[in-house]
Amino acid sequence: MAHVGAAHTRLEDDRFLTGRGRFVDDIRLPGEAYAAFVRSPHARARIGAIATDRARAMPGVLAVLTGDDWRRDGGGETDVLWDVNSHDGTPMNIARRPIFASGEARHVGDTVALVVAEDPHTAADAAAAVEVAWEPLPSITELAASVEPDAPLVHEEFGSNVAYDWRLGDAEATEAAFAAAAHVTALSLNNNRLAPSAMEPRAAIGAYDRGSERYTLWSTTQNPHLVRQWLSRDTLRAPEHAIRVVAPDVGGGFGQKTYHYPEEASLPWAARLVGRPVRWTATRAETLAVDIHARDHVTEARMAFDEDGRIAAVEANIIANLGAYQSQFAACIPTLFCVTMFSGQYAIPALHCRVLGVYTNTTPIDAYRGAGNPEITYVIERLIENGAREMAADSVEARSRNLVPAAAMPYASATGVTYDVGDFPAVLGKTRALADLEALRAEQARLREDGMLMGIGMAAFIRSGGAGPSRLAAALGSRMGLWDVATVRVHPSGKITVLCGSHNHGQSHATTYAQIVADRFGCDMADIEIVEGDTDRIPHGLGTWASRSITVVGSALAVASDRIIDKGRRLAAHLMECAVEDIDFGSGAYSVRGTDRRMTFVEIADMAYRGADYPDGFELGLEEAAFFDPDDFNYPYGTHVATVTVDAETGAVKLTGYYSVEDMGLVINPLVVDGQRHGAAAQGIGQALLEDVRYEPDSGQLLTGSFMDYTIPRADDMPNFALDSHVTLTETNPLGVKGVGELGTAGPPAAIGNAILDALWHLGVRHMEMPFTAERVWRAIRAASA
Amino acid sequence: MERETISVTVNGRAYERAVEPRRLLSDFLREDLRLTGTHVGCEHGVCGSCTVMMDGVTARSCLTFAVMADGAEIETIEGLGSVEAMHPVQQAFWEKHGLQCGFCTPGMLMTAVELLKANPDPSVDDIRDAISGNLCRCTGYQTIVESIQYAAKLMREDGP
Repeated sequence: MAHVGAAHTRLEDDRFLTGRGRFVDDIRLPGEAYAAFVRSPHARARIGAIATDRARAMPGVLAVLTGDDWRRDGGGETDVLWDVNSHDGTPMNIARRPIFASGEARHVGDTVALVVAEDPHTAADAAAAVEVAWEPLPSITELAASVEPDAPLVHEEFGSNVAYDWRLGDAEATEAAFAAAAHVTALSLNNNRLAPSAMEPRAAIGAYDRGSERYTLWSTTQNPHLVRQWLSRDTLRAPEHAIRVVAPDVGGGFGQKTYHYPEEASLPWAARLVGRPVRWTATRAETLAVDIHARDHVTEARMAFDEDGRIAAVEANIIANLGAYQSQFAACIPTLFCVTMFSGQYAIPALHCRVLGVYTNTTPIDAYRGAGNPEITYVIERLIENGAREMAADSVEARSRNLVPAAAMPYASATGVTYDVGDFPAVLGKTRALADLEALRAEQARLREDGMLMGIGMAAFIRSGGAGPSRLAAALGSRMGLWDVATVRVHPSGKITVLCGSHNHGQSHATTYAQIVADRFGCDMADIEIVEGDTDRIPHGLGTWASRSITVVGSALAVASDRIIDKGRRLAAHLMECAVEDIDFGSGAYSVRGTDRRMTFVEIADMAYRGADYPDGFELGLEEAAFFDPDDFNYPYGTHVATVTVDAETGAVKLTGYYSVEDMGLVINPLVVDGQRHGAAAQGIGQALLEDVRYEPDSGQLLTGSFMDYTIPRADDMPNFALDSHVTLTETNPLGVKGVGELGTAGPPAAIGNAILDALWHLGVRHMEMPFTAERVWRAIRAASA
Repeated sequence: MERETISVTVNGRAYERAVEPRRLLSDFLREDLRLTGTHVGCEHGVCGSCTVMMDGVTARSCLTFAVMADGAEIETIEGLGSVEAMHPVQQAFWEKHGLQCGFCTPGMLMTAVELLKANPDPSVDDIRDAISGNLCRCTGYQTIVESIQYAAKLMREDGP
């Protein structure tokens, strides 16, 4: 095992470091034209006549296309991929995201028409010249108000903005536990609305070849094969074999580039109509208005404790925003991918949660890195923190007392989910040591004497990673499998190409997958090519999201590699005239046990393609595909500590330290994994301190339409991270890995929130809304001291 | 629209081109010269992905018109170093995992080069301050800070 576990520098870096990456906007096709979209300036408005004459008459304009054109031509709308029923079995109300809005525009940025022109300036000018007879209607963008009886309806046909009323847990047992509790802590919590904001804006190019009657779409997607399937089945409605989707280098995804966006369907369609490739790259303002948003919950929650400080029950009522339409996975994010972790790392005998998924006149919401886990972690960890403080107990001790002990694994939580392995107390102990909590407390006391406000906060969390077990997902409402596939192709020279269904947009697959394969074959990593992102090169796959790639695709390529080695063993036995059982494989060669006879894998590969000498029944060639579908999710977890200082005069919060101990199972490459951990924590820190998508309540206008208003963290907002880890191996996949990409997003909102409260508790501050901006903190201090 | 002819040196090579006055330097580099290493992440001067060197100082090419570069010397990521002969900053980002998706990387590298020219031994705070105008969504910045510290060390060891 020379490669797995090593901090190998990345194989994919050369092109990015020298400016030779190939992102969608870097690709140029002969004869291409440019698209611009007409988007709704209103949160809600009836779409009257669309006057296109003036735009069509502009020199250089090739086409002006509307939703009527699209629908007349047989175009469809995106479909949802997860059914979530209400508690009484009623199917959810589904409003599918259209390619072009029909009848009514339902959020600022909703797409209405498409202009194709010779150059981007003309396209933009012509889009501005399309005259839509808008009839503005009352809109609803405020989440809590959306369920009030007099709220404007986003979809009048449903008679309500509620898409579903979903519940999990035992309401009766929970109620009884609260009635008998020694102490009850209650909180009203918001989980702020986020815009994932990869640095590369979305972009796409559509093309159509009349000769082969095939479409090609280059798109900034995390899952080209799924986009091909959705184009074929739902929107473009062309045969799947007549569509090629290419996702070249993609500049960050974080979930936002998972879904089927309108432009992915309308651009190839427009390309067929105008007979030229049609390209489009989003402006940042378009990205912020059109691409999915995330989180956005309001929650009433309470936690019951017995007289020993043990959690007796926990309960939450969540209103979760779905936006104007249901993005494809939207329904399952605030429900199954959120509430199934409601027990956190704790042994909680009774729990109950209700989730109202609601429509509002806002951009559709869907999974963004973390996808439900930061939301539920924030609820649990704020409750246990405030509960301990109210009972005058140490909040770290309160956590320690309630952790599921290692000996209780596998542990069936009251949500119905079973954690397979883990050692929560060990990780808490390591976190305590890494942060040196005693020293931090002493520093806090010293600073307090000098009139300085310092706070220390903790959050413990667990998530389901490695989606997934397809049959389980189907039983829970999924309309698609969650397996994946890898094809390992050994060339006659012995060099190896691996075709993978995942997609690398920063996750380092070209390196980590090669580490796995190199160890299997005993070859150099340089002899392995990892191919992703092109449906014409790769047979199938489901893409990269839900912390699944190394679990599902990593396992698939390991299984396929092992099949090839076994096949080679049969040829080696034949050629070296011995029994298959007497052949050993190691260090890149087959050898006959107890002799000095050996043949290298390269020699066997050559013979497998030469066909000169092989045993009867042996199929020539060396290529294997393996589909892998795990038996269960895996359960990575961790504990974070944040330290802050608060300026009492301005309310400004400075994040001074961040400590993280996580259990991700086997680590293939610590350099890469540490990078993922930093990045996940950074996005959680952004949620806690800076990021907040805001709409103006009356007009429904998006107020955070640029990076001047939607503020993602900068280098000087960030502390240095201190990391440690703990390893327990899962048996749900052959590698023993757990999904790491999203894990660390869960900790910062609660850890930082708890740290700020720790700094201000003695002043009487008990709560504030997220993000914890200087204004909010200043107001909380003022209110507490008034 | 009327075009103006500009003369500009990019990565040591002289170009003469007719451009519309509204042509952005970022579009001029990417579209007219096909130097696509310079990326546009926000087109309003906030993210820093489009950072290039103009007469020795960094400029946001998305906020600079190409006509403003008439007579100027521009350096872009393509001129920094090759795979065979990397600039120490490129080498350091590779060794210290200072990039993930690679989109912000060209702008980040140009900013780092400018910092290290002015300050061959920057502190962590100096580095965080210098790159605070370049957004990265992947790394959380720590490995970028470490990369730039390491690049400074490589450049000091290399000597003038």
